[in-house]
Amino acid sequence: MKKTSMVLAALLLLVGGVFAQGTIKIGGIWMLADITGNQGSKAAQLAVEEINAAGGVLGKKLELVVADDEGKADKAAAQVEKLATVDKVEVFLGGMASGAELGKIPAFKKYNRVVMSTGAAGSATVEKALGPSPESDFYFHLHPWDYNQGASYAEGWDAIQKQYPNIQIKKIFLAYEEGAFGKSSWDATKILFGSQSRYTVDGAPFKSAAFGGGDYTAVLEAAKDFKPDLFLWAGYDADALPLLEQSKAMKFSPGIYLGAPPGWPIGFGSSKLSKNVMLYGMWSTALNDTNAQSKKFYNAYVKKFREEPATYFALLAYDAVYILADGIKRAGTTETAALVKALEQTKYASALGETITFKPSNIIKHQGITRQKILQWQDGFQEIIWPFEAATADPVYPFPLWK
Amino acid sequence: MNRSTSRIITMAAIAIMMVLPAFAGDYPLQVARNVMMYMALAITWDMLLRSGQISFGLAGLVGLGSYATILAVVRGGMPDWLSILFAGLFSGLVAFGIGFFILRLRHTYFSIVTLALGEIFRIIIHNLHDFTGGPEGIVIQQGVMFGGKSGPLYWLTLAGLGVALAASYWFEKSKFHFALTAIRNNEVSAKTSGVNIFRWLLATFVITSAIQGMIGGIFVQSYGFASPDSVFSADFTLLPMAMALLGGIHSTVGPILGGILLGLVSEWLKLQIPYGHLVVYGLMIIVVILFMPSGLLGIARKAGSRKSTDENQRRAV
Repeated sequence: MKKTSMVLAALLLLVGGVFAQGTIKIGGIWMLADITGNQGSKAAQLAVEEINAAGGVLGKKLELVVADDEGKADKAAAQVEKLATVDKVEVFLGGMASGAELGKIPAFKKYNRVVMSTGAAGSATVEKALGPSPESDFYFHLHPWDYNQGASYAEGWDAIQKQYPNIQIKKIFLAYEEGAFGKSSWDATKILFGSQSRYTVDGAPFKSAAFGGGDYTAVLEAAKDFKPDLFLWAGYDADALPLLEQSKAMKFSPGIYLGAPPGWPIGFGSSKLSKNVMLYGMWSTALNDTNAQSKKFYNAYVKKFREEPATYFALLAYDAVYILADGIKRAGTTETAALVKALEQTKYASALGETITFKPSNIIKHQGITRQKILQWQDGFQEIIWPFEAATADPVYPFPLWK
Repeated sequence: MNRSTSRIITMAAIAIMMVLPAFAGDYPLQVARNVMMYMALAITWDMLLRSGQISFGLAGLVGLGSYATILAVVRGGMPDWLSILFAGLFSGLVAFGIGFFILRLRHTYFSIVTLALGEIFRIIIHNLHDFTGGPEGIVIQQGVMFGGKSGPLYWLTLAGLGVALAASYWFEKSKFHFALTAIRNNEVSAKTSGVNIFRWLLATFVITSAIQGMIGGIFVQSYGFASPDSVFSADFTLLPMAMALLGGIHSTVGPILGGILLGLVSEWLKLQIPYGHLVVYGLMIIVVILFMPSGLLGIARKAGSRKSTDENQRRAV
């Protein structure tokens, strides 16, 4: 009996010792009122719980401290200060809107702790504000920059036309929301598709329904006159259905009808209008059939939160926690220089269906994902069309004529 | 609330702000900077309101000042501190120019035009892509002022607030007070009493616009960038208005009280309810405006006058 008690006591001491050494605090900053931030923060919490259940990192538990940047620079800066000085987090993650990220950058630079960024694609401002190596080496940018996305779309459409000779694209029209997101999409499209006269490119801006707009007549008229083979719109989820409704009313049926919002409205797939609409993205539930990590994430997320992950930002945040945890394990510390070195060796098979490594981008040293995927709404689900190694369906072409 | 109580509250607030950097960490200083910035805007909004004119152009002038600063630095190579003064001067000059046209309007018409002006400024900046960076915005490559150190940036924002406070007290103590009150109460009688209405309104509009532009310059130098979505944000109009309404209008102390209260409550709510604080905050502002239209100052004034009436009655008995 005495022996058993002693063994039990030793075990308790051992177990206690493992977690008594404290926690590794991760500061997560998102715009929580937005679905990308809301689900991103939940997915990061899920990853933290999974890692802790598997024994934690360096004998310590991870602790995620969530903060809301409200998508505003001044509020975002205050949250970095709070996490760094009050909560004393050792690393940061999160991010979505470029405007809020720009508010965080001066404070990030001041504290020089590792940042795993899951958003902020605006290279003209965010990447420029970060500056070149070594001053921005603490910053690991998981999400592709706007020019990365543009380049991957050009690569994707070239590959699709080669693979499916019935799909021929000569003329591209971009309808873009008049804000920073739409304008940067337009700039990238003009350069990547319009250069060397490979394609004839035209475009026009519209006021997004998310910011009080919602009348797309002018932009659709311009597109209809242009007779594009590929019609692309860059706006927000609020624009998705009204644009299709008005396209239908105007009998505008281009060969390819493609949307590039950061997230789609919940239930969009159940609308008849969604049929064969193409989209850009990084993930869909279709990936669960071919990628075990994606399936594991999806099932755990739905079980815990009783909702489906609606955008890929949830998976980015989930992956970000795992990448950080792996890096800390390899570095044996959260000290910036050692952790940066360890993270540079990252080779992480992500739930997004690709292996993430960090390479230099145009300005910074640590850029993660550089490719997006081309998908299509088929029978209410997003099927992956390209890259072909991750494809879950063949494209349906042309976009059906409106009845 | 009498004048000496108002003065005591203001002096106490200033004293706290002066000693705060000595014992507060970077986070409270950052929150205080945000509160002071909105408080300065609330005070200047109220200064024009003392003439009876409601401006919805705050965000437009903050945005104008922000871009004046960043373009002066990035395109013109102007020193950081000078660019903030330049923002004030530029916004004041623009206000002087447009004031000749819009200050002929009154009440709703004036309010709508100021709202439209803000939108016009935003659209102009938006479309001068090569010069202003367009919708994506523009960054100061060499980074923010003082290397982003909280202490000096705190003093910079406090200096901006100091200018707003000094101007507001000057308005209260000088002929501005009588002129603006007379205009608010009855323009016809003000005019017959010899008040040059247009001149006083123009001076008030130019001074408040210059301070609002300067606050925009401080915002840019604190965060190192300007984009139309950030610096023309409706927050720069709505939050200062809510602060002034909560504290009490037509005074300096009202916006100070409202600014401190709303600023701190907003941050406290965020810590308590990270996933729903904006809903509670929004509801709170609606309730305050519905049930406390004269603000905290109005309630204090009512309580004060009730007390003195009771005392007078007691003396009479």
